[in-house]
Amino acid sequence: MKILLFMAALCVVVMSCTKGKTDYEAEIDTVVTEHVEFKEAATVTTNGYHIRIEALNGTFYKGYNEIRLKITNSQTGEISNTSGVTFLPIMTNAMGEHQSCPHRYQLMERSDEKYFSGYAVFTEKSSLDDSWNLYLSLTVNGQTFQVEKSINVQEQANKNLNMTVFTGKDNEQYIIALISPQKPKVSENELLAGIYRYQKPIDNPSGVFPDPTQFSYTEVNGYMLQLDPRMPEPSMGNHSSPNNKDLTQQNDGLYHGVVNYTMTGNWTLNFIMQNQDGQIIKGTVVPDDFTPGIAGAKSDLHIDILF
Amino acid sequence: MKKLSVGLVLLVFGIYAKAQDSQIKQDSTRRIDEVHVNRMVKKKIETEMKMSVSVDEFLASSENISFIKRGAYAWEPLLNNMSSERTNLTIDGMHIFGACTDKMDPITSYVESNNLSAIDITSGQAGSMHGSTVSGSIDLKRKSTPFSLDPKWSGAYQTGFEWNNKQFFNMGNLSYSDDKFVADGSISFRKAGNYADGHNDEVKHSQYHKFNTSLGMAYKTSPLSALRVDAIFDMAKDVGFPALPMDLWLSRALITSASYKQMFEDGLVKVWDSKIYFNAVEHYMDDTTRPENLVHMDMPGWSTTYGLVSKINLKKDDYASEIQLNAYENVSIAEMRMYPQDRNNRTMFAYSWPWVTTRYVGLSMNNAWEISDKSQVNVGGALGLNYNHAKYVEFNWIFHPGTPQEKTRFLPSLHANYQLNFDSFNFSAGTGYGHRAPSVSEGYGYYIYNSFDRYDYIGNPDLKNEISYEMNASLGFKKEKVGIEVKANYFYIQNYIVGRILNMGSPMNYQSVGVKGYTSLDHATLFNFSIGGHYDILQNLQWKGLLTYARGQDDRGGNLPFIRPLSYQTSVHFTHHKIGFQTSLNGDFTQNNYSPEYGEDKTSSYKIWNVSADYRFNIKNCKAVVQVGAENLWNEYYSTYADWGNIPRMGRNIFTSLKVGF
Repeated sequence: MKILLFMAALCVVVMSCTKGKTDYEAEIDTVVTEHVEFKEAATVTTNGYHIRIEALNGTFYKGYNEIRLKITNSQTGEISNTSGVTFLPIMTNAMGEHQSCPHRYQLMERSDEKYFSGYAVFTEKSSLDDSWNLYLSLTVNGQTFQVEKSINVQEQANKNLNMTVFTGKDNEQYIIALISPQKPKVSENELLAGIYRYQKPIDNPSGVFPDPTQFSYTEVNGYMLQLDPRMPEPSMGNHSSPNNKDLTQQNDGLYHGVVNYTMTGNWTLNFIMQNQDGQIIKGTVVPDDFTPGIAGAKSDLHIDILF
Repeated sequence: MKKLSVGLVLLVFGIYAKAQDSQIKQDSTRRIDEVHVNRMVKKKIETEMKMSVSVDEFLASSENISFIKRGAYAWEPLLNNMSSERTNLTIDGMHIFGACTDKMDPITSYVESNNLSAIDITSGQAGSMHGSTVSGSIDLKRKSTPFSLDPKWSGAYQTGFEWNNKQFFNMGNLSYSDDKFVADGSISFRKAGNYADGHNDEVKHSQYHKFNTSLGMAYKTSPLSALRVDAIFDMAKDVGFPALPMDLWLSRALITSASYKQMFEDGLVKVWDSKIYFNAVEHYMDDTTRPENLVHMDMPGWSTTYGLVSKINLKKDDYASEIQLNAYENVSIAEMRMYPQDRNNRTMFAYSWPWVTTRYVGLSMNNAWEISDKSQVNVGGALGLNYNHAKYVEFNWIFHPGTPQEKTRFLPSLHANYQLNFDSFNFSAGTGYGHRAPSVSEGYGYYIYNSFDRYDYIGNPDLKNEISYEMNASLGFKKEKVGIEVKANYFYIQNYIVGRILNMGSPMNYQSVGVKGYTSLDHATLFNFSIGGHYDILQNLQWKGLLTYARGQDDRGGNLPFIRPLSYQTSVHFTHHKIGFQTSLNGDFTQNNYSPEYGEDKTSSYKIWNVSADYRFNIKNCKAVVQVGAENLWNEYYSTYADWGNIPRMGRNIFTSLKVGF
């Protein structure tokens, strides 16, 4: 019937809205790329064994990286009976000075999944001046050997995995690295961070380079990170969000909290770090004033994110 | 004809005849009685003062309607001093929901006076026929020409100009009818500039442009049945909202329906009328014309509704009944995207309505028994099932962690009313009980900026149903020349939903001063009272007057917002041959019971004097009326209790209009 055709046509005309609706999933994807797959980031073949180092997306990024090591017989491809795997990343600058970064020295064996697990929080990306090397040691079938491998550390494009290095009031050097969420949502988000402290060496270096005692970092235990997320954009007038939870340490050694992001965009995670005794090691209180037109104040301990 | 109610209304099918006329010839076109159980306020779309009015102006002339005004356009109707969430607003029983989170598009803004025939206003639970309500229902009735024996054309053209805001309008409607087919079409254009207030200062951003067209066609499928399709298309562009920090760039609505009506000559069931409908509303705000805005923001909104209405009318002897099934599904989406000052930076995005689906199914019923010639009892009720689903419920979790994504509510309603007529007196008393579900904004709204109290509002999906207990009574006296009617109603509303300051979160919109969350008060009470009268001084000189009073209080005795202070309207109408003359005075007294907690301040009294004169004449076969008048003749500078941001109302306005009909 003509009438129905007319009505249908009219429907189509109006259903085609003037402005398209936002694709919410795609909206978050515009600035955040989420990596979920571990791929080969570096590989070494030595003494008849093949050592495959995996990281998310096959890339070492500045910031927190989960590391997986798989050791196979280079001839047969079989998983080799390996133990005592150690892992030490070292950066050398133009002056020839060495430094490391937070890392797990003794890798943990995940026998069910057939790999050794660790992490590294690279504090700088590789550049002309700064170069990173991995120093591995492992015992395969009773035979122990060392491996050195130069790697390339890239800038982390995802600001939700940002990190910060600072010196606390106790004169110790600390590093806070964001681990999760990679891809936040306008929602409650589980916030996961690692807190690490540089262990100043007590003794002089001994033996063969590198001496792990000179490059030691520990996971900080029993601290608390007070969280106060803000939108720093001047037009947002120091906007904050409700129902956030401070980060406290859980069984996995990492610090867990909750952050609510009320909209997409730039956010600043303002922190105040307290030690076991409740003493403030670093961080300042951010005023609650609503300040439209003025860029939001930040704690002297903060990490900027964007999604 | 008995007062109140069991009125005979001719159906579209019947040939045009007055209800009292029993000598209708019975041939291929038949007359069937439709039974209206409820008392309804039916009106012609014109006011005492003005013959060419907007839908808003027309509604404003009704005694239990008041308005929240955010500018010159799209006023939000308040029935019994309750906001539009508590009112069932429908077009021919079809549910339509505005697409603007700031209520800048009540559905009354998507119709035009030349495609409406009447507006039915039902107070309280008696208005639950089309769905659950607290304050009552406002049903906008579309124009539909009845079938006629002989092919017939009719139409009207109206044009007019209003000086104050340079409003110019052109409206035309045309109808064709024969014994098998009917078509109604209408088109209208309105264009208005900024208006000037009583100090002759221009109120910036008060312009509007509106285009509306409608088409309806009916085909008689058998002597007792007919099929009808209807569509309205409405578009408003460049509409200013002086009380808001932004304007409307474009809003469009398409309102369509297809209905089938079957009548029965014998038996209990008289009419069965079913309709399926679809409507889509889109609403895009624009703040680029406001340089004072620090943040540029896009706020598009969409609302799409599908629905079904099916109604049967029963009548046997002294008993009459209407039973109606209502079902609809609505999806409301509203977005906000804020642009940083450095446009290279990332825009900030959130949903203010996170894809909220509302489904409603309800069965409503009204029954009337004529106990005697003098008295009648009406009993009715409804049972509705309301379901909500938020697609992006994580937005709601920010303030209400772990709240369920879905929510189902039962919405029962009951009402009863007794009417008595003796001699010149009539009396009625009634009571009602009913639930309503929170609206999309109250349940799922997210940082919706309210420029009245300057707070960002957060919905709460776990709100309880609002439960209304209601009593009403009226007493009237009517003699030949004089009539007087006193009406009162009282609502005790449990879990009354309001916005309360939250001690968490911080404002998102930069004009905002804080965050309010929708919460339930233990209860609130509302009392409405009106006394109206008319007196025919001479046969051609009539006086009318109306006084209304309302009081609304929360559970601690504090004042509720948007309650109209004591107000009055009085008018005199004089006709002499072809000339008509009318003058009216209306105003509010000082608003003493204002509510600072909800952003109100004391509003002073005001009085507005209006005059108009019209002259009727014929051009060939066409009837024509020309009217000249002036509103706010004293050029009073005022704003009313419900004017958003105390925006001053229009000053003196001279209006002229011409209507030609055939």
